[in-house]
Amino acid sequence: MNRREFLQYTSLMPLAGMIPDAFAAGQRPGQIVVLVELKGGNDGLNTLIPFRDDNYHKARPSLRIKNPIPLKDNIAMNPYLKQLLPLWKEGNMAWIQGVGYSRPSRSHFHSIDIWETASTRNNEIRGWLSRVLPARHNAVNGIVLGDNNLGPMAGPSGSGVAMEDPKTFLRQTKYLNKKHYKPANASMAHMLNIQGQINITAEQLKRTYNGRRSSVRFPNSRFGRKLEQVSQMIVNGMDAPVYKVSLEGFDTHAGQVDQHNNLMNHLGGGLSAFSTAMKQAKLWDNVVVVTYSEFGRRVAQNNSGGTDHGSAAAHFAIGGRVRGGMYGKQPSLDPSKLYDGDLIHTVDFREVYATLAQRWWRRPNPWKAHRPIPFV
Amino acid sequence: MGRLSFSDTRHLVTRTALGQELGGIKRLEGKTKEEAISILLKPGSLKTPPLPRLTPWANVNRMKMQSGLGKKRARKMMKTEGARLKRWWMLHLLKTKSPVNEHMTLFWHNHFTSSLEKVQQPKLMYLQNQLIRRHAMGNYRTLLHDMARDPAMLIYLDGNDNVKGSPNENFARELLELFTIGRGQYSESDIKTAAIAFTGWGVDRNRGVYKYDATKHDNKPIRFMGRNGTFSGDQIIDIILEKPRTAEFIAEKFWKEFISDAHPDPRVIKQWGTVFRKSNYNIKTLLSEVLNSDAFWSPKYKGTLTKSPVDLVVGTLRALPFPKLPDNELVHITELLGQDLFDPPTVKGWEGGKSWIDTQTLLVRTSLLTKLTRHSRASAKVQSYLPNITGEEVVNWLLPLAPVLPLPTTPGKRRMVRALILDPVFQLK
Repeated sequence: MNRREFLQYTSLMPLAGMIPDAFAAGQRPGQIVVLVELKGGNDGLNTLIPFRDDNYHKARPSLRIKNPIPLKDNIAMNPYLKQLLPLWKEGNMAWIQGVGYSRPSRSHFHSIDIWETASTRNNEIRGWLSRVLPARHNAVNGIVLGDNNLGPMAGPSGSGVAMEDPKTFLRQTKYLNKKHYKPANASMAHMLNIQGQINITAEQLKRTYNGRRSSVRFPNSRFGRKLEQVSQMIVNGMDAPVYKVSLEGFDTHAGQVDQHNNLMNHLGGGLSAFSTAMKQAKLWDNVVVVTYSEFGRRVAQNNSGGTDHGSAAAHFAIGGRVRGGMYGKQPSLDPSKLYDGDLIHTVDFREVYATLAQRWWRRPNPWKAHRPIPFV
Repeated sequence: MGRLSFSDTRHLVTRTALGQELGGIKRLEGKTKEEAISILLKPGSLKTPPLPRLTPWANVNRMKMQSGLGKKRARKMMKTEGARLKRWWMLHLLKTKSPVNEHMTLFWHNHFTSSLEKVQQPKLMYLQNQLIRRHAMGNYRTLLHDMARDPAMLIYLDGNDNVKGSPNENFARELLELFTIGRGQYSESDIKTAAIAFTGWGVDRNRGVYKYDATKHDNKPIRFMGRNGTFSGDQIIDIILEKPRTAEFIAEKFWKEFISDAHPDPRVIKQWGTVFRKSNYNIKTLLSEVLNSDAFWSPKYKGTLTKSPVDLVVGTLRALPFPKLPDNELVHITELLGQDLFDPPTVKGWEGGKSWIDTQTLLVRTSLLTKLTRHSRASAKVQSYLPNITGEEVVNWLLPLAPVLPLPTTPGKRRMVRALILDPVFQLK
C-alpha cells in the first residue's frame, strides 16, 4: 500500500485507533427525527375523524368509524390508535390537519416523490433532508430501516444508509472492498460513494449493536422490530440525526375496514413502545417522531368497500418537546367545498419540514414561502 | 465497423441475453454486426420447465369461505405456492436456451407489472408470465390489448372493481402513465373517461379467465384525448397507439434498458419511435434498430449500465461453472438484491440503473460473489473450464472495462477469475 492509497483508505474507513475520542465514545446528535412513512396513502379521514360532521357519515356509509376517541371539539381519533392516547393526554402529541399541496397528484410514485423531494415541479432529485442537513464527514445523516429506498435522504450528498436490519448489515460489511479506486464513469462513482458510506456506518453500528438493550417489549411485527432497532441505535449513541421506518399496506382500494384498523393498531402499538423506551433512556426530549404519506384518500368511499387515491390528510408528531394539540385546520367536507371529490389542503407539507428545519434543528429553512408551525 | 471482436461480441451478448456465456459469445465472434444481431434475435424455443402444482382458485375460495382459520390457511397456501412459482421462473432463467427472449420477458414483466402480493393467485401470475413470454419479441399492440384483459392485471389494478356508476381509475391511470404514453401527455379527465370505457371488464376468479359483463359497462359518450364518442376499452388503446409519443415512450425505455442511464438524444428517440410505429409496433424491429444504432456501440456507454440482480446472479451462474446454489436460495438472494420476481415493489416496477446499488444491495452483491468464488472443489473446475482462452481474454470476457483494483500477481486462472469477479467493474455491463 503506497502513501496515496493509505490516505484514501483511511479517509474512507475510520479505524478504531484513528477516531477522535468524542467520536469513539459515541456522540449522539442532540435532536433526532424519526420519520414514519405510511406507505400507500393513509386514509386521513379515518385516522383523525371529524365525527360530528354529517358530511363524513354521508360520504362513508359503511366505512365510517362509529366509536372514535374524542380528542377536541368535533375531532376524534381512530380507536385502534388508543395506545397513543396517553401521549395526547400528556400534551406530547400534535395533530396537523389538512396536510397536502396544491394541484395534488394522485399517482403513488409521483406524489411520494413530491413529498420526499419537497418539490411539486418534478425538478428535484435530492431528498428534502439533504437540503436541510449538510453532508457530514465520517458520519451519515440518516438510516433507513427495512427499505432499500433512501427516500427523503436520497441525492448525491444525502449520506444516508438503507438497510434491512443492523445484524444483516454488519455480517455483510466484512466482505466489502475497503480500497479506494478511480471510477471510470458515473455508475462506478455511485458505487464508490456507497462503499464509503457503508464502511463508516458499519464502524458505528458495531458499537451500538453490541450496546445495552431496552427492557421495553415492542410488538412482534415487522414495524415493531424496526422501531426497536431504531431505539437500540439511539440509546447506544449512534451518530445519526434521522431514522426512517415505514408501515406498509395503506393502499386500501377494497375491503378497507379490517385492513386499516389493523394498520392503526400496528402504528399505535409500535410508537407507544418506542416512546416508553425513549422515556426510560431519558431521551424522549431529544426525539420527535413524524408521520407522512403520499396522499390521503377520497372523501367518499367507493363501491368496493374501500377508498381511492385522494389528497390532503392529517399527520401527527410525538415527542417530549412536542407541544401537543391541534394544528392547521380540518378541510371542509361539504361537497361544494371539495375539489373533484377531494379535500382541499389547509397546510402545505413543507410547513412541517420548515418546522423541523428551523424550530427543531435550528437550521435555515430552505422553503422560504412556507412558515414553520409551532408544534415543537 | 467490420467484424465483431471478442470484446464487441461480449458487449452485445451481455446486454441482450442473460450474462456472458462463453459459447454464446464465441458463436457470434467475427461476424458482422448485422449478421450477429440477426442470429441473436432469431426466435428460439419458449419451452419452460413443468409447472409446479398450484391449487385451483375455486378450491382456495371454498377454503377461504369456510372460517377464519380457513382464510389463514388459504393465505399460507398461496404463499407457499407463490414461492414455488418464483423458483420455477428462476430455474427457467438459469436453463433457458432462449436467453434473449427471456431477457425481454423480464423487461415486459417490469413494464406491465403485476404482483403476487396483490393478485394472490400464483396460477394467474403464471398465465400472465406465459402471455408475456409469448409476445416478448412479438407485437406490442397485441401484448397491450391482451394485457388489458389479463386476469392477473385486472385484479392487480382493480379492473374488477371498475363498474358502471362507480369507475375505478387504477388501470386507466397506469395504462396512460406507465404502460403507454407517459406523464404530461394526458389530462386527469382523460383518465376518468378511459376508466369509463373499461367498465365491465373483469375476471371470473374461479375459472381464472377474463369476463366481460355488459350490465356493468357504461356506454355513455365520453371525450378522450380530444375525441368524442362511445369507446370500448380496445378503442381507447388504439387511440393511445395512434400517438407518436407512445412509441417514443417505449423507445426511451429501450434506451434505458440497453444503452444508458443518461438522458437519450431526443432525435434518436424520435427515430426509433417512428421505426417502431411504422412496423405496427413490432418489438423485434425496435430491438434490432436499437442494437444496430451507433449509440449502442459507442465506447461512451460501454460498461456504464449496472447489472440487475438477475444479470448478476443468473448471468454469473450461466457463464461460470460455480456450484449451483439451491433455487430457493437464489430466489431469496435476488429478492434481497431488490428484484423479487413476480413481486415488483410498485406498479412502476424496478427503477433499475444506478439505483440497483445502494447501501443495502452492494453488501449482498459482495457477499454472494465472495461466497461463489471461495476456493472449493467445485470452484476449482473453473480452471479446467477455460482451456483455450488467454489471460487477457478472461479479462475481456468478464469485465466490460479495465479492472480498477489490482490483479493478483501470482499466476492461476482461478485466482484471476476470482479477482475479476470481485472487482467493482464486474457489477457493470
